[in-house]
Amino acid sequence: MSEQARVGIVLVSHSAALASGAAELAGQMGGGQVRVVPAGGTDDGRIGTSINKVRQALADADSGVGVLLLPDLGSSVLTIKALLAEDDGLPDQLEVADAPFVEGAVAATVAAAVGGDVKAVLGAAQEAWHARKL
Amino acid sequence: MPESSEDLITLSGDLHARPAAALAIAAAKFQSSIELVAGDNHADAKSVLSVMGIGATNGQQVTVRAAGPDAADAVADIIAILAAATEVGA
Repeated sequence: MSEQARVGIVLVSHSAALASGAAELAGQMGGGQVRVVPAGGTDDGRIGTSINKVRQALADADSGVGVLLLPDLGSSVLTIKALLAEDDGLPDQLEVADAPFVEGAVAATVAAAVGGDVKAVLGAAQEAWHARKL
Repeated sequence: MPESSEDLITLSGDLHARPAAALAIAAAKFQSSIELVAGDNHADAKSVLSVMGIGATNGQQVTVRAAGPDAADAVADIIAILAAATEVGA
């Protein structure tokens, strides 16, 4: 089972620290079986988003069976849309999740860890809207 | 008619996030539907956020119910995970 390729996850945040922290948390939840790759901050390390960072993260997350992109807020979505408008070199199976950032990252990573396809991983992330904390 | 199975365990520690994820990953291997009940809270064992959301704590009794072709194995597995996950404060 550990040999099976998993759907990868890219976490796009305005903050490099937020993206990498969420990726660390979600990655541990997935038992280390899933590539959860952060793409946070601008190219020069400020708060913001970077199309270059997202493009590189997609390449790093892809093991051939698809990648889920999860944006945090606002212009993360715009950056992703700008990237998706390019046709070159993107993973074949690519989905963008409309989901809470932390809960969506954890739910998606667990769905990927159990071998879910990219649609199943997308569904798990988006079901996070219904998860209550209290 | 699908088999069903049920067992319960008294937790010896709180159910934290990582063991909740391990539980959901283990539950996904079974065909049966698997439900956790802790007090008034119910969780789908295959949903990590649902398992985290039941807030199962030390000393609380958790019931594991499964329905489906591998229900007995599913309940035994999940009970074992709950026992291991909570005894070391994992």
